[in-house]
Amino acid sequence: MAFLLQPDIVRYNCTCGSLKPISRIYFCRHCLKIRCGYCVCHEVDSHYCANCLENLPSSEARLKKNRCAACLDCPSCLNTVSTRSTNISTQNPDDPNKTVTRKAYYLACGFCRWTSRDVGLPDQTVATGGWPERENVHAARISSLLEHYKVLALRERQEKERKKFIPRRSYLHFSDKFGLTAMMARKRAGLPTLGGVGIKDETGSIPDIIPSEAVEEVDSLPADIYIKPVDLAQVTTLSQRLAQPEFQPELVSDLFPAHKHLMIKRSQRCRSCEHNVSKPEYNPGSIKFKIQLAAYYHVPEIRIVTCELLRIGQESQLIIRLCNPTQHQTVIQFLPLPSAEEDLEEREKEIEEKKKKQAEKKDAEKTSQGRDDVSILLPSLSRQTSISEDPRPVNVKLTGDVILPSSSVVLPPRDDAAEYDDSGETYHFQDDPKVVMWRKANKAAVKIAVVPLDSATEAGHVLVGFVMKYTYVNTMATLDQKEPQKVDLKVKVFINAGKTVGACT
Amino acid sequence: MPLYEGIGLTEKQAVVIDIGAAYTKFGFAGESGPRCIVRTEIKCPETKQVKKVLNYSSEEELYDLLVEFIHVLYFRHLLVSPKDRRVVIVESLLCPTAFRETLAKVLFRHFEVSSILFVPSHLVSLCTLGVNTALVLDVGYVEAILIPVFEGVPVLHAWQAQPRAAEAVQSSLKASLLNINSEKEDFPESTIEDIKVRTCFVTSLTRATQLEAVDQPPDVVYREGGSEIVHIPGKVRETVYEVLFEQDNDQMSVSTMILDAIIKCPIDMRKPLAENILVIGGTAMAPGFKARLLDELKHLLQQPKYASRLALKTFKFHKPPAKENYVAWLGGAIFGGTDMISTRSLTKEAYVKHSSLPDWADLSYNCREEDKISL
Ligand SMILES: [Zn+2]
Ligand SMILES: [Zn+2]
Ligand SMILES: [Zn+2]
Ligand SMILES: [Zn+2]
Repeated sequence: MAFLLQPDIVRYNCTCGSLKPISRIYFCRHCLKIRCGYCVCHEVDSHYCANCLENLPSSEARLKKNRCAACLDCPSCLNTVSTRSTNISTQNPDDPNKTVTRKAYYLACGFCRWTSRDVGLPDQTVATGGWPERENVHAARISSLLEHYKVLALRERQEKERKKFIPRRSYLHFSDKFGLTAMMARKRAGLPTLGGVGIKDETGSIPDIIPSEAVEEVDSLPADIYIKPVDLAQVTTLSQRLAQPEFQPELVSDLFPAHKHLMIKRSQRCRSCEHNVSKPEYNPGSIKFKIQLAAYYHVPEIRIVTCELLRIGQESQLIIRLCNPTQHQTVIQFLPLPSAEEDLEEREKEIEEKKKKQAEKKDAEKTSQGRDDVSILLPSLSRQTSISEDPRPVNVKLTGDVILPSSSVVLPPRDDAAEYDDSGETYHFQDDPKVVMWRKANKAAVKIAVVPLDSATEAGHVLVGFVMKYTYVNTMATLDQKEPQKVDLKVKVFINAGKTVGACT
Repeated sequence: MPLYEGIGLTEKQAVVIDIGAAYTKFGFAGESGPRCIVRTEIKCPETKQVKKVLNYSSEEELYDLLVEFIHVLYFRHLLVSPKDRRVVIVESLLCPTAFRETLAKVLFRHFEVSSILFVPSHLVSLCTLGVNTALVLDVGYVEAILIPVFEGVPVLHAWQAQPRAAEAVQSSLKASLLNINSEKEDFPESTIEDIKVRTCFVTSLTRATQLEAVDQPPDVVYREGGSEIVHIPGKVRETVYEVLFEQDNDQMSVSTMILDAIIKCPIDMRKPLAENILVIGGTAMAPGFKARLLDELKHLLQQPKYASRLALKTFKFHKPPAKENYVAWLGGAIFGGTDMISTRSLTKEAYVKHSSLPDWADLSYNCREEDKISL
């Protein structure tokens, strides 16, 4: 798996302009375009705890502030702590002469030896939690401030709404008597007419808050700071402090364990057609995907087999291996990279296409809005205007020329059984021996000539590029297209052929 | 599942971001603290080198850095999809236009957020107090910025900014340590920061005036990476923060900033401002910082330069319900937790309309209009 170890040797040009190895790109089967992590839309799919692999619905994860209820992190080294049990003996309350032993549980970190006893947390009688939760001491104050400003904001909004009605003032005066204005304002604002904060009392009181009182005294330095030696082991590090933003303990003795932060599984969606290009299975233990449109399964893969020594200005042979990962035969052709103008044209076409699609989407939305008013009631459900990024030009400097094979190469479909069958390989392809070195099942080795340019010395490597044109059989059934369709697709490929040898004079 | 979040009358919870030169605060609107405080830096996926997001050479580079950085914030720390979610950006009033424009572009075009609300950090910090007049001094990483706010309106002509903040302290600490530990060639910034946070403090004014005469505080032996020993003399621990308070050739320091700003304000504003000082920013968390600041202010008031011009008697400091390093964030979270987020945000639709204009600076002017917040 050379491409996994050397990801920057053969890179494909994504539709968005980034260069990625084939293991890092997607192929949207609906748009028939290459997509990558940069140009797809990432979405949070499911929350889970990486320690206990517990799955949480997103509403629950939100409620628990993205923390696992069961697992705790060591506040000192931020690894997971484990629960330890010991036996402690206490006096029997009925008979003072006897002792009873019961189990007690405490937390201990296997990495840095921190224990909950270090910070004076009492042992628990049950193994599963019950550890004291710390509250932000300012929580109540902050929520009263929030209520206060909420009402202020609501008022401002209502005033704004009122101003909008000025031309129809006379009507408003009339309705004001019946207290309709505020109700209208609220309706316009999409707020519920009853309940909610500060809504019961329209005109009057903003929830009382006591404004902060400035004081003349400030925290002064501890008196012993000039004489007391510093024990660094007792002072927390910045990362320990910032791991708990609301508390930021300065002393190790104030470090309390925190609930483990959850992790997520992500799905990736093509921004253009809104289909998923990758969707993991829900189960956190599973490494499989429901949808995985990786380019590795759809786009012919290129690997370097060998390359002759590269000398500036001299032709060397580069042998690449092509592999057809699909279930259909493909024909591969090599074309030179387009010129800058052609490239620009292509990108403009891409942008144009995107705009067209956008307009179509908008139209479709309009008609659907006519049919049902779901999207009016719930604006968050209706599609929003999309203004995603435009494709960028490829940002590389070629340091070599290529002489590409003139004839095309036919690759048979992938046949998993053939992998294990070494006997009698017979091919009926009319291969040009100057182009195809050898072939095996769905793979073929192809010769390309590389001529390093002078700039290769400075760049340190010879980078060449070409367009690979391949036939792809689209088996995606759409409304107007039920039969598999054969299409020609192009992708720009950039190969780093390696360093040059010997200085040229 | 994520689909249902927006259903009903509860809108998707907005996120609040405060991108600082050193640390970024990120969390949800309406909450009492940020979900994370992380370094404003990314590991470059190609070179594997750590890069500060604000060390950019071009807008294109900043764009890419921000995409990488914000992606991590959403998917590693907040665990929510950015798409169609509102954003509150807490920004300095002195934030460069190019930065805020690029940030808006990244959020709208790459992350497809539904709206952005820019809030000025000095102004929204007042939301954490429930007052509408205060002299807000933000001592961050690159510079200390002071803007007085009177009756909810920033007194912009009185603003002060000085490169007296964490960066200055850390470079002074680094220089001293390299001087003493001569066998060392360099210290990584993170080590310097750790030494600063764990061993250094702001000494009192009385001691600062006679540093040569007083007994030095105890030395500290610091183990870099657990093995290499770094000697930190007590004197260094006590004096690194002096760069903030020493007056330079223009007779400027963190403390004179406050008095100079007050002088620039009309007379009837002066007393309320002096009695409503709010110090925010991570550097203000240094032990002894506020005590020193207060002493300096009282001392300077006796000096001829100020005695003749200011008739102030007392200075009063506010205690916000948060650690200094996320006060501005909390202000944004409170402000963004109200209806203001729907009435004052720049929506994606409005952005699309304006960004098609040839001169996009127009829009920033428009936002600024919307930013005018009356508290
Ligand atoms: Zn891409
Ligand atoms: Zn767990
Ligand atoms: Zn630990
Ligand atoms: Zn697609």
